[in-house]
Amino acid sequence: MPRILGVDIPNDKPTHISLRYIYGIGPSLALRLCEQARVDPQRRAKELSDDDISRIAGILDRDYTVEGPLRRQTQQFIARLKDIGCYRGSRHRRSLPVRGQRTRTNARTRKGPRKTVAGKKGVKEMRG
Amino acid sequence: MSRSMRKGPYVDERLLAKVEKQERSNTREPIKTWSRDCTIVPEFIGHTFLIHNGKTFHKLYVIEDMVGHKLGEFSPTRMFRGHSGGKAKAAK
Repeated sequence: MPRILGVDIPNDKPTHISLRYIYGIGPSLALRLCEQARVDPQRRAKELSDDDISRIAGILDRDYTVEGPLRRQTQQFIARLKDIGCYRGSRHRRSLPVRGQRTRTNARTRKGPRKTVAGKKGVKEMRG
Repeated sequence: MSRSMRKGPYVDERLLAKVEKQERSNTREPIKTWSRDCTIVPEFIGHTFLIHNGKTFHKLYVIEDMVGHKLGEFSPTRMFRGHSGGKAKAAK
């Protein structure tokens, strides 16, 4: 299987799909990459020549932030919010929704699995 | 939805005037303000504000990283003191 940028080994799906296995590459960037590297997006990833791969890797290296550096960048942005002590930063710190969503119910992605509190009133009460 | 670029950032003019006045006289008194919706512009860097949160004034020294945020983002309006029964459980 081909390797792009060290660790990522996309499988035998069409090139534009397997490129999306790299962190930071979504549907539109995958297609744009194929176009820029002049690779048929429908061709299977395993059929890519070494030359194709190095061209894609070259473009990624030059113009885009993906994988490790992208993760680090995102972390830095969040760290900055926490640092300056703004509302969004405090929401990150408490791992609650940052963009004003409700927290009375839902918000499970941010809050994690439910922590049931003993002695709390039943579900019926909550609906009332 | 974000604000139109054409309008530029919203800055409370009276507040900006106060900042500029301090800039001229080189004083750095905390400025009391209620305009939480005012964007922090580079002129505010190094000044101190007392931002109302509906009850009290929250002190804020503006640094460069805060530019582009609103004053209100730094003066929390709610305080979470924990759920009822939390204490009883801890005592047990």
